[in-house]
Amino acid sequence: MTGAQTFQLSTAAVPEAGRARWVTSVLVGVALVAWLASLTLFLTTPLASLPLYFVQRYFVLDATSLLFVWLINTIFLGIAVYMLSRVRTSPVLEQDMPQIAALSIAFMVFMNLGLMSNNLLMMWACIEATTLCAAPIVAKGESNAAGRVAWRYMLYSTISLALTFLGFLCLTHSAHLRGIGVNFNLDQIPHFLATPGDPWQRIGFSLMVFGLGSKLGLAPMYGWLPETYEAAPPSISALLAAIQFNATIVAIFRILQVFRADNVNFIAYELLLMGCLSLTVAAVQIMAARNYKRLLAYACVSSGGVIAIGLSVGRAAAYGVVLYVVSSAFVKALLFLTAGRMQSVYKTKDVAALNGVIKILPFSGLLFTIGIFALLGFPPFGSFMAEMLILSGIVQAGHFLAFTLMCAMLTIIFVAMGRSIFPMIWGSSKRTGPPVREALLTALPKLFFVGVLVSLGVYTPESVSKLLLLVATSFGG
Amino acid sequence: MTLPLILFLVAVVIPVFFGKARSAPVWLGLQAMGLAWNALAQHGEISNHALMAALELLVVRAWLVPALVHRMIRRRTAPNVELMPSNLFAWAIAAVMIVLAFEVIGKASADSGAFALAVMASTVVSALLILATNDSPTSQLVAVLFMENAIVLFESLLPEPWPLPIHFALTTIYVLTVVVATRLVGKPASDKTEDQAELREVL
Repeated sequence: MTGAQTFQLSTAAVPEAGRARWVTSVLVGVALVAWLASLTLFLTTPLASLPLYFVQRYFVLDATSLLFVWLINTIFLGIAVYMLSRVRTSPVLEQDMPQIAALSIAFMVFMNLGLMSNNLLMMWACIEATTLCAAPIVAKGESNAAGRVAWRYMLYSTISLALTFLGFLCLTHSAHLRGIGVNFNLDQIPHFLATPGDPWQRIGFSLMVFGLGSKLGLAPMYGWLPETYEAAPPSISALLAAIQFNATIVAIFRILQVFRADNVNFIAYELLLMGCLSLTVAAVQIMAARNYKRLLAYACVSSGGVIAIGLSVGRAAAYGVVLYVVSSAFVKALLFLTAGRMQSVYKTKDVAALNGVIKILPFSGLLFTIGIFALLGFPPFGSFMAEMLILSGIVQAGHFLAFTLMCAMLTIIFVAMGRSIFPMIWGSSKRTGPPVREALLTALPKLFFVGVLVSLGVYTPESVSKLLLLVATSFGG
Repeated sequence: MTLPLILFLVAVVIPVFFGKARSAPVWLGLQAMGLAWNALAQHGEISNHALMAALELLVVRAWLVPALVHRMIRRRTAPNVELMPSNLFAWAIAAVMIVLAFEVIGKASADSGAFALAVMASTVVSALLILATNDSPTSQLVAVLFMENAIVLFESLLPEPWPLPIHFALTTIYVLTVVVATRLVGKPASDKTEDQAELREVL
């Protein structure tokens, strides 16, 4: 390459790099503003004054939306800071940044609207919109297969949400047969339900739970989740696993909240079955996986299973479920972002190639270890307390078979995960040389996530604990 | 009331048994025409809402979306595969599922919309069958669009249509889904399916 050519390339690259950094800074700015807004809302809204309706009752601020809006904006701020640190250290990433930033912001706008929506149809539309924003970013994954995977992610999501929509239509049809018009506002739906539920109402309810369960990655329609989380860029895997997952969970909370009165037993068995299947599938697949991102992805399937089983129990496990959902959001974000850091250094996802990672990447290795222990439900993390509460709820509800299966599968997952991950962390490293330096900016969000996880397990402030209890009561009774 | 539904059903069943991917836009267009006709004939009199719904069906589902799918198929230059593999086993399953949809749904609901519900159910099972038997992205996209059309048919059974803002929001999402899908799968078909040995740098 001649000097003139080099000069031309570098002058072309400078504005591109400047623009990418500017765009990433805007992304962090937007995330910071959204987080501050959600924190202000959280600190200034008295819990006794909830729910608050606004924009002609299209939106609602209740305990559920208050908690999850704060949660997703906190995690998004962490992801945005991580993206900024990656762009600063790897100029090759600058090219796609404007598109990724725009789609991520659109994703978060729809996510916040969906969480605060007081209308099930609007919430459905927002979740679908987040899928449309996420699919093109998933396609920017690291391998040739990312495009196909993004398509399959979108296909499964569309089918899942189409089934959910068919559920809405069945409910409408049920009301029509009784001569009633349906309005899908959360505060009005209970007035339109038949007691006891007729077959159309039950089919509708069942389709809604099945569709949303599939969107969560519960078996039997879980196939999209492991391949998407593996193929997507790690920051986007974190976005899907810790943020979109929670929006779908909120949709299920809303449905249980609204339909709890009459149809609870019918749906409890559906959730129980999907949960047990997911745990079993995850346990088997984790035994076979030799790729750390895929391991994390199957761990997400298993955490979906635990949540579904907990939801099937109802009131006895409701608090545990909420605590588990909040903890697992931070755990998943921590693990995927740390996996991204390891992937950027090692350029592989194979666990064997990362043997002794803690010697090369001491800080990331340590954070990954902490994340894995939190994922496996060890004390002092919130997930430990949550799993105990869910298990105790299952026993109280008398589901001894589900209790046995859950304990057995969690043990298998622990052993299988440890067999792959512990040598990866502490084994003898094939790489030589001094440890890789890690920037404070990369570590900051992860440290915050660890802090929250420990706090959830050791000491939860009273206001947070009250909020968690209110959310649990809203769907668990 | 029944004729448009028969047109819709024909446009669903024929491509499942005999249709190829490249002819799919035509069948999708025909389905949408059946839906538009059904929307106009639904309540006996032509209201403003019925007219708007029919217009939207004709513009978006009968013209815009089939045109997008056609453009995607041309760009992909993939082989012209069948929507569902043409073997006796797949045909038998498809036939049984469609008959079952009519038997179960048709008999379960005694009201006037029983036929439309049965048509809707057959469309949903046909779409699921295409998804289960074919891994070509084009066929999968067509199956998704079949299912979306089934949803519109179900929606048309409601005594009172949903408010126009909700209707248009759903249409926007439908069009965006097709646009994103055609972008994701619209690249020329490639043999390079295996992962690279070394991964690209990503966020």
